[in-house]
Amino acid sequence: MANSANTNTVPKLYRSVIEDVINDVRDIFLDDGVDEQVLMELKTLWENKLMQSRAVDGFHSEEQQLLLQVQQQHQPQQQQHHHHHHHQQTQPQQTVPQQAQTQQVLIPASQQATAPQVIVPDSKLIQHMNASNMSAAATAATLALPAGVTPVQQILTNSGQLLQVVRAANGAQYIIQPQQSVVLQQQVIPQMQPGGVQAPVIQQVLAPLPGGISPQTGVIIQPQQILFTGNKTQVIPTTVAAPTPAQAQITATGQQQPQAQPAQTQAPLVLQVDGTGDTSSEEDEDEEEDFDDDDDEEEDKEKDGAEDGQVEEEPLNSEDDVSDEEGQELFDTENVVVCQYDKIHRSKNKWKFHLKDGIMNLNGRDYIFSKAIGDAEW
Amino acid sequence: MAYQLYRNTTLGNSLQESLDELIQSQQITPQLALQVLLQFDKAINSALAQRVRNRVNFRGSLNTYRFCDNVWTFVLNDVEFREVTELIKVDKVKIVACDGK
Repeated sequence: MANSANTNTVPKLYRSVIEDVINDVRDIFLDDGVDEQVLMELKTLWENKLMQSRAVDGFHSEEQQLLLQVQQQHQPQQQQHHHHHHHQQTQPQQTVPQQAQTQQVLIPASQQATAPQVIVPDSKLIQHMNASNMSAAATAATLALPAGVTPVQQILTNSGQLLQVVRAANGAQYIIQPQQSVVLQQQVIPQMQPGGVQAPVIQQVLAPLPGGISPQTGVIIQPQQILFTGNKTQVIPTTVAAPTPAQAQITATGQQQPQAQPAQTQAPLVLQVDGTGDTSSEEDEDEEEDFDDDDDEEEDKEKDGAEDGQVEEEPLNSEDDVSDEEGQELFDTENVVVCQYDKIHRSKNKWKFHLKDGIMNLNGRDYIFSKAIGDAEW
Repeated sequence: MAYQLYRNTTLGNSLQESLDELIQSQQITPQLALQVLLQFDKAINSALAQRVRNRVNFRGSLNTYRFCDNVWTFVLNDVEFREVTELIKVDKVKIVACDGK
């Protein structure tokens, strides 16, 4: 109750801004000859990113409700293998009347003849989708997408199947049965053997152009392993942020080489024997004796001399810098307030701020104000 | 001409990222994306001016201040933001403010 004021107004305001913007640019899109579905895609992307950022609470997404409806439709259809799945009817959070119809299972024509794949999105999925970290415009590289379909999400169910929830041009949603990637079949495979089934996981999103697309258009595929952690429902992240063993190995080896090189160059190889590293005060006798010794010993002694000189120096120099790190100010995840000022006042070191029309992001969450008054001492 | 100030917010950044993705996949032109952002500026400015009606107070210590091109930038430490309903504490906050007149 105490928090209701801000958590109620912010999502509403964002929603209304999104609606306003989309409606206002519709004409611009049409003038430019861009199709309406691109506009819808923009809206979807925008909403999904807002959802993912979790800066706003209670920001419902239409996809979630559609998925719920699809789930309810599929349960009576698929009776083959998944009786043991408890079919919980999760209540749709909000009604989406215009999209209640036309949900079908879309089977791409080029699907291989595998055993009939049962798609039963668990109810857990829905909850997971709230916390999912999906890129809204994930594209299936291995799936032949029908024209004009924009894939939205990839979901891995309990039974180990790869789901693709897509949103077509007219706003209806489909679930695409995957083809070759599901060598996983229907049995629960708790552990994937490395080097066994490698399902290509889609990397970056390039939404297919409407009206006929080559399925591989501009999609980066990296062979990765799908991780199964026990029987937990797992959402496959399709963004680069997904750490998998294969990928980690690839990037680790890539990183080791450049890291090794700078490490080597840091080792002192060039010795300074004059100036600060001057050891001549020790008399020439030492140097003459050094010449008689082996080269290794000579270098070691000189190194020690040079290092000693540097050690004495560092404390002296390091005290010269008094200012704070500039990095503090440039740090990305800090709390930001973006607003306009009515009046900024200062008296000696006492500052007063009169601000208005601001959006704040504090501790990861968004807040809004029409007026803000503040005090600070410098 | 509305301030482009609000593009660096959650709402604005998610819009920019979405537009960038569409540009990458060549579904829209950069020019069109710019038009969308300009429209966003207008919409967010007017929404904030008209649809928001709440007050916030805050107090903290001022670490740095900068006034350049009529834009104030402050960095405050150990700040408490107080709304009627809730209290928010942060160690560090950056405030960027354009002229409100």
